[in-house]
Amino acid sequence: MFRIIKKSLKTGVVTGRYPQPTAPVPHMTDETKAKAAPFGKSLTIREVDTGSCNACEMEMNALANPVYDVERFGVHIAASPRHADALVVTGPVTANMERALKDVYQSTPDPKLVIALGDCAIDCGAFKGSYAVTGPVDRHIPVDVKIPGCPPRPAEILAALRALMAKTR
Amino acid sequence: MNDADAAAQQIVKTFEHQIAGIGRVQDIPVVSVAKEAIPTIAHYIHSMAAFRGTLSLQWAVDLRPMAARSQIYYLFSLAGHGAWLILLTELPDGDRLFPSITPRIHAAKWYEREIRDLFGLIPEGHPDLRRLVRHEHWPKGTHPLKKDFAWDHVMGRQQGEYHFRRIEGEGVFEVPVGPIHAGIIEPGHFRFSVAGEPIMQLELRHFWKHRGVEKLFENRTLADGVSLAEKVSGDTSFGHSLVYCEAVERLMGMTVPPRARYLRTLFLELERIHNHIGDVGAICNDAAYALALAHGGRIKERVMQLNDRLTGSRFLRGVNVVGGSAIDLSPEQIDEVVREMDAIDKDFGELSAIVFGNASLTDRLESTGTLSEQIAWDHGVMGVVGRASNIDRDVRRDRPFAAYLDLTFRVPVYTYGDVRARVRVRIEEVQESIHLIRQVRERFPAGDVRAPIPAPPEAGRWALSAVEGWRGEILYYLMAGENGAIHRCKVRDPSFVNWPAIQFAVLGNIIPDFPLINKSFNLSYAGTDL
Ligand code: SF4
Repeated sequence: MFRIIKKSLKTGVVTGRYPQPTAPVPHMTDETKAKAAPFGKSLTIREVDTGSCNACEMEMNALANPVYDVERFGVHIAASPRHADALVVTGPVTANMERALKDVYQSTPDPKLVIALGDCAIDCGAFKGSYAVTGPVDRHIPVDVKIPGCPPRPAEILAALRALMAKTR
Repeated sequence: MNDADAAAQQIVKTFEHQIAGIGRVQDIPVVSVAKEAIPTIAHYIHSMAAFRGTLSLQWAVDLRPMAARSQIYYLFSLAGHGAWLILLTELPDGDRLFPSITPRIHAAKWYEREIRDLFGLIPEGHPDLRRLVRHEHWPKGTHPLKKDFAWDHVMGRQQGEYHFRRIEGEGVFEVPVGPIHAGIIEPGHFRFSVAGEPIMQLELRHFWKHRGVEKLFENRTLADGVSLAEKVSGDTSFGHSLVYCEAVERLMGMTVPPRARYLRTLFLELERIHNHIGDVGAICNDAAYALALAHGGRIKERVMQLNDRLTGSRFLRGVNVVGGSAIDLSPEQIDEVVREMDAIDKDFGELSAIVFGNASLTDRLESTGTLSEQIAWDHGVMGVVGRASNIDRDVRRDRPFAAYLDLTFRVPVYTYGDVRARVRVRIEEVQESIHLIRQVRERFPAGDVRAPIPAPPEAGRWALSAVEGWRGEILYYLMAGENGAIHRCKVRDPSFVNWPAIQFAVLGNIIPDFPLINKSFNLSYAGTDL
């Protein structure tokens, strides 16, 4: 017990200790902002991997660590699409995952947003044209926000999510 | 003459009439045999006390248009560390059958199903001929690695059903999980059969993420395949690009400058450190100890930010190039790395003390998800999971690459094979990695970091290379095509081998412990599905 408290005191607060992103924040159309408006300051996300190399997943996971602590901005990761406001999709959509992606989209209650995360999700990246890939994501389901990068850094993902959730004047 | 040559001689002597020839590539004896003799000779290598050969890889090559035949290779790692031996058999065009070795060598089970799916060659006598890579909706006759199959072929869809092995009886339930799971993880399907709490059977259904990586390699040249290798399994970006580069360098007979070899060692260890530290935290979290996750995630982030500062990539992408390294580090940067490592050594050491000082946590880890040494050996299990079950293999020591020949380190091995042992192996490996990085600074040679690329190798030549990534042994086989093209690239992440073993490790455990056991294996789906 003593050891744990000592460790916590010694570590202090690490939240926010990361370099600010240099990549531009993805553009959001008025339509997208209007779609995001009903969720206000809280956004529940379900992550769906449709064939990524898993680096995009690792950066999504990093968002939950104490350094980025995405929950402080009202972003919550849900365990089921039925609880989600937004789907974050990574990877180029493989032939084998196409059905599952469409099922997940159907299972997510309206209104909902879809965020394509990473170059693969946006245009299939290095896997474009492969016999095993039927993507990109917006070929199968409507996409509202695209966050480019291979993979985008957690700080960049965070900046995009915050821009999405920011109030429109 | 090394162990492998002696073994090859002995095989030739014992099976005189069935041997078609014996060759040598790099330091590997290649014994060509008629296909009928494969099961007997393979079993001989596998079971003879002097060899105790583990099947490390089995793969096929379609030689067209160079020649109208297919080849099947069997790579064995012999006991006593490191020696490799290859069995090779050839099938003339039109002959689609080869004898299965799976009934005697369990490690072949997925390889042979993979060969059937991707090449349309049928392993006769294989006990399980269901589809593996091709899901049911793939039309019949789709075999993407055959040379007459276009890489951008548009597949149709057919109806079909995958038949899981079923256990029936009163009180037996099936629990299907996936492909989409509750956490932020990759897709895979797990089918549990339970009676009451304990798991009676688990069956995996993978390959949801099959992206056609091996076929895409055939579109690339030897020099520019690196960026694809980085995307095979993102968490092992550096490990995969390193094996790829080493394979090309062998193929072209290049010598990598010493400074680049040290840089590669340093970065490979950084990749091991951030993954292992993250895993230790995440494993504890699956036993509901969130404090360890918070600290583990924090320290991992620290290493990844260091990666970013050094190379411009949190995943160390773009560092490896054929012939060396795209970046060099200044003395100040090396000092920074070692300073960070010293701090992390202390920080992570304190976390480990907290973890193992917690009786209720270690109680959850002990005797959970036990993988016995026998099963691990039978299935060729390797890497962290293998070393936790007394499989003492580590490519860094057994077949040194990069700068490992010059450095000293210990390979931690445990015998219990439970979750705790897998955590222990990781913790000790982090310490060894930090120790290795300190040695890199002390012995860091001066000079260039990049060798010029020579003329492309002759078509049909091949090379094989292995690197100990943080999960275990990664293997790449590369065969050159015309003018520096890639004729065939076989990629083998350790996950492909270790996945089936999890089906045994969970038996008798309860489903709520599955996430814990799965996390302690922490295997790549992308690296398996390709
Ligand atoms: S965008 Fe890059 S990091 Fe993300 S899944 Fe694709 S290859 Fe991996």
